[in-house]
Amino acid sequence: MNRPAGIGLRTPHLAEIDCDRPPAGLLEIHAENYLSASPARETVERLRSDYDLSVHAVGLSLGSAEGLDEGHLARVAALVKHLEPAWVSDHLSWSTAGGRYFNDLLPLPYTEEALDVVVRNVERVQETLGRPISIENPSCYLGFAHSTLSEPEFLSALAHRSGCGLLLDANNIAVTAHNLRLDPQDWLAGLPSLAITQYHLAGHAVNDADGEAILIDDHGSRVSEGVWALYAEVVKRFGMRPTLIEWDTDIPPLSVLLDEARRADRIALSEESRARAA
Amino acid sequence: MPGLRDLQAAFAAHLSGVDRADLVALVAGDSIPAAARLDVYRHHVLESLTAALAATFSTVQALVGQEFFRRLARDFVRGCLPTQPVLAEYGAAFSAFIDGYAAVRNLPYLTDIARLDWALAVACQAPLGRCLTVADMSVVPAERLPSMSIVMPQGTALIGSPYPLDAIWQASQPDAAEGTVDLNSGPCRLLVLRRRHDAAFTTLGAGEEAFLASLIAEGTLEEAAAAALGREAGFDLSNSFARLMALEAFAALREPAP
Repeated sequence: MNRPAGIGLRTPHLAEIDCDRPPAGLLEIHAENYLSASPARETVERLRSDYDLSVHAVGLSLGSAEGLDEGHLARVAALVKHLEPAWVSDHLSWSTAGGRYFNDLLPLPYTEEALDVVVRNVERVQETLGRPISIENPSCYLGFAHSTLSEPEFLSALAHRSGCGLLLDANNIAVTAHNLRLDPQDWLAGLPSLAITQYHLAGHAVNDADGEAILIDDHGSRVSEGVWALYAEVVKRFGMRPTLIEWDTDIPPLSVLLDEARRADRIALSEESRARAA
Repeated sequence: MPGLRDLQAAFAAHLSGVDRADLVALVAGDSIPAAARLDVYRHHVLESLTAALAATFSTVQALVGQEFFRRLARDFVRGCLPTQPVLAEYGAAFSAFIDGYAAVRNLPYLTDIARLDWALAVACQAPLGRCLTVADMSVVPAERLPSMSIVMPQGTALIGSPYPLDAIWQASQPDAAEGTVDLNSGPCRLLVLRRRHDAAFTTLGAGEEAFLASLIAEGTLEEAAAAALGREAGFDLSNSFARLMALEAFAALREPAP
């Protein structure tokens, strides 16, 4: 039995989900929003009985050359211990430098030096949590000229060396591929299927950058048709995984997110039955 | 090529508003220039932190309007980036920043409203503990009470202002009825508390404020009562104590230090 797709749990939907318990394969929370014993966290504690949880961190800054913020890591570890989620993840990016936090998933040069840094930081997190985590591919708006590895090569080496899983965000693949002029098929071809633990789906915006279209990963709309097609390709290539719809800006009614989740289910089931028939 | 640490320091400087030619040179550009690509990140950092401040300081935003708030918040963010990733804990210095912000001098109550927004946000993140009950009180011999002090619930704060913050706050809520607030209606004293589903405030008398300020400073009940009577001659201790207990404003009794 395959798990139905889930949704990112957002504050405006908390009360409704707590009351109605709609069907969803999993609920994902952003770790940094639930580190205090707030009323929202009490709701999540209640929801644990009906849903598998994913704790998705956005602030561990796994790519920081200066190492991790141990105080923040300890708080995330306490939350993970408290909620015992089915999955824990963060991103292939950095957000902290010189003691300042930039609240963005900032890009890394894909070099051997950066790989050593991320492996070290991921190992430190996994050692602290006592469990493997999954690393998500970020949306990129730039590439560094001195990168010596492609993003999939970097992710594969990271998974191999640290034992972490990979969380594939189909929207981020589409955004990065468009912005950095890459072929999403080539991008997918470089990944180790066994390391892939989860999929994310979300909407993006199209902005203007000096007259050229640049895709912005704003999680503020329905999943685009191009990303649905890429998701079908991902399922065809790697098989089904726990899948999640994310929506963070201009958050619509809960029914819209659940509707997107059901569409993900239909695509995944159709790709899987096609693969079985083949 | 710079090491990762130097690259991240240069990127951090860029995000703080400093143009770094050395960083631009590292970015692969094409029909979208490297500088425009870097600006996507600078823009997002400013916008997302502005949105985080708007969520915490929603009353301030309601009072000054979205456009002006953006300007105010961006000026704050540029000089005072977060030092950790929990956005609900970002903005401790915002009220002090507003206090020194020339463009809002005509809104002298705005600093105090920011303090109130912040206190409510802090209380909302505080754990909900048990509160002092009548049963707890009944087992303590009355003669011991004056030397005892009170453990206050986490998230408790006192906010005082020469302006009617409670009326200003109410009038700024999305569902507020049309009306005017008399800014000269006198000072107000508020007690901010974590509630079961959020945080809220209640207005206090002058004596009650002195009483609670003394308790928060870990004064004994005797000292707190003296402070309250010093402030308000007619302070009714048993009445106020019962009212505050009913508001679940006390966590527990604390034995005197040996």
